[in-house]
Amino acid sequence: MQAFLKGATVQTSRPQKDKAAGGPSTEKKVKAVPWVEKYRPKCIDEVAFQEEVVAVLKKSVEGADLPNLLFYGPPGTGKTSTILAAARELYGPQLYRQRVLELNASDERGIQVVREKVKNFAQLVVAGTRPDGKPCPPFKIIILDEADSMTGAAQAALRRTMEKESRTTRFCLICNYISRIIEPLTSRCSKFRFKPLANKIQEERLLEICEKESLKYSKQSIAALVTVSEGDLRKAITFLQSAARLNMDREITESAIIEIAGVVPPKMIDNMLQICLSGTFEKLEVAVRKMVDEGYAATQILGQLHEAVIEHDLSDKQKSAITEKMAVVGKCLSDGADEYLQMLSLCSVIMQQASQHN
Amino acid sequence: MDKLSGGEKAASSRLNRWVDPSFTELPGESFAVSRRRKAVSSKAEVKKPRKRAGEAGSLQPPTPSLLRECAHRDQDESWVDRYSPRSQAELAVHKKKIEEVENWIKVHTNTSKGGVLLLTGPSGCGKTATVKVLSLELDLRVQEWTNPSNQEPYSSSQQEWRTNGLSFTSQLTQFQDFLLRANKYKCLKMVGDGGATDRKFILVEDFPNQFYRQPGSLHDILRRFVKTSRCPLVFIVSDSLSGDSSSRCLFPKEIQEELDIGSISFNPVAPTTMMKVLTRISTLEAGKSAGRMCVPDLAVLETLCSGSSGDVRSAINSLQFSSLPDTSLEKGLLRKDRHGTTLGKAVSRTNQRKKRSKQKKDQEEEQAIGGKDASLFLFRALGKILHCKRGKQEDAEVVECPPGPPLPSHLSHHHREALLVDPEYVVERSHMSGEFFSLYLHQNYLDFFSEVEDVDRASEYLSDADLLNSDWTSRSTMGYYGSSVATRGLLHSNSQQVSVGFRPLHKPNWLLVNKKHRENGLAAQSLFRSFCLTPLSLQTELLPYLAKLTNPLRNQAQIAFIQDVGHMSLRRLPGRLKLEALTDKEPAQPEGDSEEEEEQKVESQGGVEEGLPESQPQPRTSQDLLEEEELLIEDYNSD
Amino acid sequence: MSLWVDKYRPTSLGKLDYHKTQATQLKNLVQCGDFPHLLVYGPSGAGKKTRIMCLLRELYGAGVEKLRIEHQTIVAPSKKKIEINTIASNYHLEVNPSDAGNQDRVVIQELIKTVAQSQQIQSSTQREFKVVLLTEVDRLTKDAQHALRRTMEKYMSTCRLILCSTSTSKVIGPIRSRCLAIRVPLPSTEEVCNVLTSICKKEGLLLPPELAKNISEKSGRNLRKALLMCEACRVQQYPFSADQDVPETDWEVYLRETANAIVSQQSPQRLLEVRARLYELLTHCIPPDIIMKGLVTELLSNCDGQLKTEVAQMAAYYEHRLQLGNKAIYHLEAFTAKFMAIYKKFMEDGLDAMMF
Repeated sequence: MQAFLKGATVQTSRPQKDKAAGGPSTEKKVKAVPWVEKYRPKCIDEVAFQEEVVAVLKKSVEGADLPNLLFYGPPGTGKTSTILAAARELYGPQLYRQRVLELNASDERGIQVVREKVKNFAQLVVAGTRPDGKPCPPFKIIILDEADSMTGAAQAALRRTMEKESRTTRFCLICNYISRIIEPLTSRCSKFRFKPLANKIQEERLLEICEKESLKYSKQSIAALVTVSEGDLRKAITFLQSAARLNMDREITESAIIEIAGVVPPKMIDNMLQICLSGTFEKLEVAVRKMVDEGYAATQILGQLHEAVIEHDLSDKQKSAITEKMAVVGKCLSDGADEYLQMLSLCSVIMQQASQHN
Repeated sequence: MDKLSGGEKAASSRLNRWVDPSFTELPGESFAVSRRRKAVSSKAEVKKPRKRAGEAGSLQPPTPSLLRECAHRDQDESWVDRYSPRSQAELAVHKKKIEEVENWIKVHTNTSKGGVLLLTGPSGCGKTATVKVLSLELDLRVQEWTNPSNQEPYSSSQQEWRTNGLSFTSQLTQFQDFLLRANKYKCLKMVGDGGATDRKFILVEDFPNQFYRQPGSLHDILRRFVKTSRCPLVFIVSDSLSGDSSSRCLFPKEIQEELDIGSISFNPVAPTTMMKVLTRISTLEAGKSAGRMCVPDLAVLETLCSGSSGDVRSAINSLQFSSLPDTSLEKGLLRKDRHGTTLGKAVSRTNQRKKRSKQKKDQEEEQAIGGKDASLFLFRALGKILHCKRGKQEDAEVVECPPGPPLPSHLSHHHREALLVDPEYVVERSHMSGEFFSLYLHQNYLDFFSEVEDVDRASEYLSDADLLNSDWTSRSTMGYYGSSVATRGLLHSNSQQVSVGFRPLHKPNWLLVNKKHRENGLAAQSLFRSFCLTPLSLQTELLPYLAKLTNPLRNQAQIAFIQDVGHMSLRRLPGRLKLEALTDKEPAQPEGDSEEEEEQKVESQGGVEEGLPESQPQPRTSQDLLEEEELLIEDYNSD
Repeated sequence: MSLWVDKYRPTSLGKLDYHKTQATQLKNLVQCGDFPHLLVYGPSGAGKKTRIMCLLRELYGAGVEKLRIEHQTIVAPSKKKIEINTIASNYHLEVNPSDAGNQDRVVIQELIKTVAQSQQIQSSTQREFKVVLLTEVDRLTKDAQHALRRTMEKYMSTCRLILCSTSTSKVIGPIRSRCLAIRVPLPSTEEVCNVLTSICKKEGLLLPPELAKNISEKSGRNLRKALLMCEACRVQQYPFSADQDVPETDWEVYLRETANAIVSQQSPQRLLEVRARLYELLTHCIPPDIIMKGLVTELLSNCDGQLKTEVAQMAAYYEHRLQLGNKAIYHLEAFTAKFMAIYKKFMEDGLDAMMF
């Protein structure tokens, strides 16, 4: 397996910085650039672990036509990086700005924008050569990042535009959940699923960055980083950078990583589960109270408890009852319900289930 | 109907013929003769211009034409006027009430000291009629105020109006003059007056508009009047269902007490009395018209009676309207009505349950013939839900919709007898949004429950209802369901159905509490901004403890606030909340402010920085800082 | 005489009394020059705000302590005027956007834009960015949070955000991923004890260790509350005695009495009384969710193990509805009624069991 990020160098990071932080930041010192941007793949060859897309894009760089694209997959798997790298290779640094329109969810993206901005951009006709004489594809690319947060109406408005402008424009839709993209759109695009990165690949990348930034680290801390990031390389790199900032010149420890990620130490979760399974309600109250007092986010506890419960030795029936309650608690939490009460009710359900059949 | 009337019918129907082509479609009835005749004559007559109808009529035998003439005259006068009561016996008011009014008037006219009487009641319950009858019988002169209308034509320009300005006086002053003059001067003795006495009283039914906006000016005038009064003054105010109740606004309790205003409240006319009146009128009319008009039968009278909801005037009006011959529209309605009611009546004897259903059906129908909008007073609407009237066991088989299969045994505790009310209908007629109705219900439902289990279920339904209403984007559609859940939930969960007898109802406290909660929160925020705390810790930690600390360096507003909010007296019963009783006549009040409660949060009006304690961590307003440049406050100092 | 809470508030990272490793980490963060957006979270009374102020001081020096309250008026695109109070120094601006209710999005965008566009006047300061401190971020609407996310990127060069929140659960993922999250747990009981003792020493008071322990336990590790309690103790009685009562707030006592009333009798009549008491609490500015939580805690301590599970379920259920619904009283009352019904049944069953 090739490296996910290969030969990334500090010098080439300039163009990305423009996008990342807006105009003035270009003057800033190199060290202020988030590592995520700094180590973003610069050409599609650097993108790894997503072979199908790479193959298609490579062909396109070599002169073939490009279909409309739809990238989907969990965050941090390289969707945006891939299309940006491809666009850069296709157009080179000068043409890039004219030929690529990038819109993400933070921009206004109602139906109005789709109608006007996208349409206007799409209508420009472009030549098939670069100013320096090199050939380049005779179309522009519109990247719609986080397309799943577009309204249904905006998506519907897009499909007509997509067909009408197919002569001059290719669309690249990027989203986490393909189910939130309306059917007519998905059918007009070639779909590529981005897999969560394998642990080994992540580890390699992280180690590489550690080398480049000359960080002190322990094997465990990198392993911890890989686990907490759950296949999300962006998250892993961000955590690594934060840990490096907070612990200047000192070794980055496993606990530091866990702290930054806001993850509840596994010991606490185990302890909690143990109390649920065999303790009394009074003990449970104390444990939950403590957990909340420590400032851990209930959603985080919920997620970790979920994993622990799934792996724990309980009957399927018990597990299903517990996970059902977890779903309810998750919804309530997102509605803004009180964390302590929700956790207490969840744990009491676990307790109830555990006592029923044992 | 006899033949004579048949001829008459034909004549008059001919008049209407050209607007009434669908006449023949009516099912055969007593008009069969006339229709046949008309059918014969119509060919020739249909082209005749209307004017010639008279000639056509004159060909008829003399008797009917004479009758018709008299009928014409009669038709000019509305029956309400024609049959306005001339004696106490004819009044459709309870004897006791008349006596009450009579006594008051007697007492106050016999002494030269005047007094003020306020008559209230729903419209058309005979307030004015009572006064008029009494004045006749007691031989009193009535001086009545009517709002002067502007005699100037509209065309009169501003200029003209100014030049004529001298003669212009405001309604208000005119009213005042009227009252005081009428009070002072006696009537001129006219020759024709016969034995008319000096005794008189002043009647005010029509209030200058100004008073509705500023009841205070009325009160001032009244105070002056009472001081010098020599003859009684009678106010007549109709209760209205919606909007503000003018009697309460014009004559608040304080004024009534201050000026010793006697108050007599009339009830809607009882159905039996109303029936009596209607029957009397219709028989008289029938006799007079000698069959020219269709005499409404008893059933029609009954529907009219129940449709008017105690308004005798509207009942008579509808009677007159429904007795008008040959208007196809009306006839169609009448037909429908008669059909439905006679049918209903036949069955109604057999069981009460059915009768109820019939009445309900009628209630909807009768509104078509000028019936009154049968709105419910809030008090009654609430009562209907809270008292939870259900059918009796033995009636179970005659419920409107045939009862479905009985509930399976594990659900049998959910079985309830059929409801006697339709909750949605009640809410709709209470003239209130479902949300407010639920608030009222919530305030009062506990008194009507005896079991905690029932209360538990009921409160859950109310909670559900609130949830349905919570999102303002969908409230317009969900509101209906919300109120439905609240009302039906309450009805369902009241499983005991004990008859609790009369319970006073109260207005909801929540609005007040919520307002107070918000205001106090904002006040706390602005008064104690210098502590830089989040509202939560400010309200639950800082304030209560500040109340316990003897920390002298606080300004007056802060001290007062801490006294008020920080302290909670533990023994004292919650004294802030006065239960405001809901009276039976009170209409639904539109209380707008809480509607927007979540949409617009009132911004705190800041700037309460003056006099911060010197030693507090002290951010200052920017102006402060500009003024006293040197004075830099050390914040968060730890030495 | 200011409150001890304010008087003895540490002002520099080095003087913080607990979580010292975190303090050094923050120091490192300031020194490395590349300052990210921060998301500081932790329960109320853990010292988030104190920590942030220390951090700002570390960044800008003593100048951040010259605070002024400003009353700003922001005009929304809909021409609606929003008034909001901010606390600002030359270097930072503190604002609680939830004061603006549903208009918080506009407030955030406008304020940050203003701050970001105004350049630092003093060239002497080594920082090229200002700090905007947003408190109660968890109460922001989702709309505002999404707007924040864009704003964060846009003005990264001239402006850093420090977000202060009690929990990250209500902060959307994209914001969390753009910030360095700093968790501030409550101090442990011992740490609270130590702080109390040292402050009393500075005041020239002698605090018996038993009382210190008692206070810190009663305060639920909330340092602010503990200090207020301690000061109230001082007012109540000095010299301290080891077993003196720790004064509780009136509303807590009132709430406990309410809970007792619920446990002692279950009838519609009693519920009516409870409702009046709840109203009383509400008019005293106690937020409904706090009432609910307090009530649950009191009721839980009053019932048996098996019942507790059920009560906990109900509490979570109705508290959730309380957050969603419009009128808190419905849900508070429904919870009370539910508890009454369960408790009554439980007691009756228990009685039956005793009979046989």
